[in-house]
Amino acid sequence: MMDIDALKNQLFEKAHKKGFEDCELYYSENSHSSVSVYKGKPEKYQNSQSGGFCFRGLYNGRMGYYFSETTDIDIDSVIDNAMANADITDTDNKEFISEGSKSYSSVKIYNASLDALSMEQKLETALEAERAALEYDKRIRPERAAVSTGKTSVYIANTRGLELSEKRNYASVSVSVMAEENENTKSKYELFVGNDIEKLDPARLGITAAKKAVAALGGTPVKSGSMKVILSNEVFADILGCFLPVFYAEEVHKGFSILKDKMGEKIASDILTIRDDPLIEGGFASCSFDSEGTAAYSKNVIENGVLRTLLYNLKSAAKDNVRSTGNGFKAGFKSAVMTSATNFFVEKGNKTLDEVIKETGEGLFITDVAGLHSGADRISGDFSLAAEGFRIENGDVTTPVDQITIGGNFYDMLKNITAIADDLKFYASIGSPSVAVKNITVGGL
Amino acid sequence: MISKKTAEAVLLCAVGRGAEFAELFVENNAKNSVSLVNGKVESANSGIDRGCGIRIINKERTVYVYTNNMSEDNLLKLASEGAEAIHGNTRLKNIVFSALEYDKLYTPAVMPDSVKKSDIVDMLKTGSNAAYGYNKLITQTRMGYTDSCQNVIIANTEGLWAEDERVRTRIAVSAVASNGSEKQTGYFGPGALKGIEFYDNINIEAIAGEAARSAVTMLGASNCPSGKMSVIMDNGFGGVIFHEACGHGLEAAAISKNASVFAGKIGQKIACERLTAIDDGTIPGSWGSINIDDEGVKSRKNILIENGILKGYMTDRYNGRLIGMKPTGSSRRESYKYMPVSRMTNTYIAAGTDKKEDIIADTEYGIYAKYMGGGSVDPASGDFNFAVNEAYMVRNGKICEPVRGATLIGKGSEVLLNIDRISDNLALAEGMCGASSGSVPVCVGQPMIRVQNITVGGRE
Repeated sequence: MMDIDALKNQLFEKAHKKGFEDCELYYSENSHSSVSVYKGKPEKYQNSQSGGFCFRGLYNGRMGYYFSETTDIDIDSVIDNAMANADITDTDNKEFISEGSKSYSSVKIYNASLDALSMEQKLETALEAERAALEYDKRIRPERAAVSTGKTSVYIANTRGLELSEKRNYASVSVSVMAEENENTKSKYELFVGNDIEKLDPARLGITAAKKAVAALGGTPVKSGSMKVILSNEVFADILGCFLPVFYAEEVHKGFSILKDKMGEKIASDILTIRDDPLIEGGFASCSFDSEGTAAYSKNVIENGVLRTLLYNLKSAAKDNVRSTGNGFKAGFKSAVMTSATNFFVEKGNKTLDEVIKETGEGLFITDVAGLHSGADRISGDFSLAAEGFRIENGDVTTPVDQITIGGNFYDMLKNITAIADDLKFYASIGSPSVAVKNITVGGL
Repeated sequence: MISKKTAEAVLLCAVGRGAEFAELFVENNAKNSVSLVNGKVESANSGIDRGCGIRIINKERTVYVYTNNMSEDNLLKLASEGAEAIHGNTRLKNIVFSALEYDKLYTPAVMPDSVKKSDIVDMLKTGSNAAYGYNKLITQTRMGYTDSCQNVIIANTEGLWAEDERVRTRIAVSAVASNGSEKQTGYFGPGALKGIEFYDNINIEAIAGEAARSAVTMLGASNCPSGKMSVIMDNGFGGVIFHEACGHGLEAAAISKNASVFAGKIGQKIACERLTAIDDGTIPGSWGSINIDDEGVKSRKNILIENGILKGYMTDRYNGRLIGMKPTGSSRRESYKYMPVSRMTNTYIAAGTDKKEDIIADTEYGIYAKYMGGGSVDPASGDFNFAVNEAYMVRNGKICEPVRGATLIGKGSEVLLNIDRISDNLALAEGMCGASSGSVPVCVGQPMIRVQNITVGGRE
């Protein structure tokens, strides 16, 4: 799309003339194609190509940024704008441009066979998933089934000699359905994300969505109180994803995470181990280097309840006098370098979900939460979320529960984990098995 | 951004296989952002988004393609690839464009690119200092600034040629209070469809001070009780309850799939008799306003509910046709990367006649929610949730101690019927709303209302 080499040379040359020291060009390209179906017919086709570049450079020791989705742009204005942005940035907020790591692990994140998937095959997959969902139960109505595939590539080059590139592809298949009975409607969806679409059984995906919707019909609230709950793998992954930034050193430095000075301390139940692993084959957030060119590697963040490391980029690592953990990522090519986890997951336990349910005896099995973007306070750790699920009575999952809230504090919850099942599942980049927790406040009747 | 000749060629190519309709959305969006953490500028960024989306519709089928390679060759290639997915019987030989004429709701006085960045930083620092100055319990501040100047051209095979420039700016002010063991946050995010003159008429120190007060207040608060009770929601961002509990369910995209509890209910009573609700995209300079929507339809004031009776939906071209309704100037998208769909603009419950003091005095037991957080809804079931940022217990007609961590949940169809008091102090507040066509600026609003028997989820 763009002649990157020419762009790089022009940018770096002009930047040096205008007084920039180290500079970087970050370039990214994406393409995407999808089809969605409704009632047995194709409804929407989408196709896209997009991308752009971001220039950043050190000017008087301060980092200035400028991005553009087009190369049809005056290079002088790129440099001048980056300079204006550098000028107002505080000097003690030091970002680095680095020569990168000595070596990089390779990880398989590109599946060539995915490129060969035709629009007709995608359409057939979506139709099959929808059909299976509708055939599962008469109470099911369709909402949407979609298949999409995409490719993205990144390229980083800087004046310290770093030059790296990587490309990945992925597929996602989703089925959304509604179950309806006596004025009661439940809509549920099931999602597959990964680049090993060969492993996907579209019919099973559709049936799972339909099963979830039908099972949730007729839910009723329970009495308010404090109780034992099992958070399903999806729910625990949702909550963990929401509080993830508390493990970023950057957030600790700014005072937005209370994990300050907790290194090496026990902050969670003995049975909890949480890992950040960018080297999982085909993983949603797998990569061999971060946006600063630091080699990606796997590490335990919490090990048997003890906080082992925070996640670092170059800036926060320099502040703590440690090495970057390879977690310096941009949120898209336009963004400044921030911190991000890669594939972040709770290690599975050695009991089956059924065993954990049996042990729980009485309580709730929570299968859905809503309102994480508003009902969870990342800084205090407090959360109160709309929830759905099932009663657990005499060690068995029984009737559906709806119109309740679950409340607690993230940090307390980590300590109150009593069991971890073996059903680890990834939801995009966050993974978790189902987790049993005591002392969760349930709001209902 | 695109010549009429190129636009015509691309549109004709898009309907080259006989589709009924095609549309181009061309965009150039210049953006700036500054983020201040604990009084220091952490990052300043700026840049350009530029691209084109092509939508092709035939009957119930849609194709959407987008790119930021705007060369005519590339656009023609994408349009013809898109056309292959939909075969129809319409034949179009040429398009004669006529420019859409409309009055702008507001003309920005000071364009973002004419302002010195250091002036923006000074303004943010004033806010940060005011928050720190409020109380020594304030230990962190976060201030964000954004502006955008989005120029669009919308052209379609019916000959529409619409151009618009949307200038918006917003600041985000948060203050964190700590007492050693715990932290609480206060937040406000005022913004407008205006230029930088917007900041001449708001008091950043007062806003930051109020965020600080809210954080400090909640620091000492005990946990909110759980269960069903009366909740008094104050004006302004309290309107998020209508946005979530009802607004999303009145969008044509949910109606056309019968995925809303309000589908098929036009003319029926869905709310208490004194409730009137409006979506008005024409409020001059308001954050959620639009001159024209993203299909090139002039914005308007749409009555959604009048005295409890459902009057209309918010409708876009595609879903409107599926349900037999005309577009209402409600079709929106975050950028050329999204297919437009019916969305809200400035949505509010109209002022009633109750007095705020009376509503409180008449409440025996419940919660007074002074400031709301965000929320979400599943339009199909109507199940909604939203958070309360600053709340107090109400006992015997008096506002008592602050309580924290409250989330309100319910079903949209039920909560509308359970609103029993509506005061006269209507106010709007700014937010971002996320849905299938991306994140768009909206206002929510209401006067103070009381809802009976709503589920409050706290931590007690």
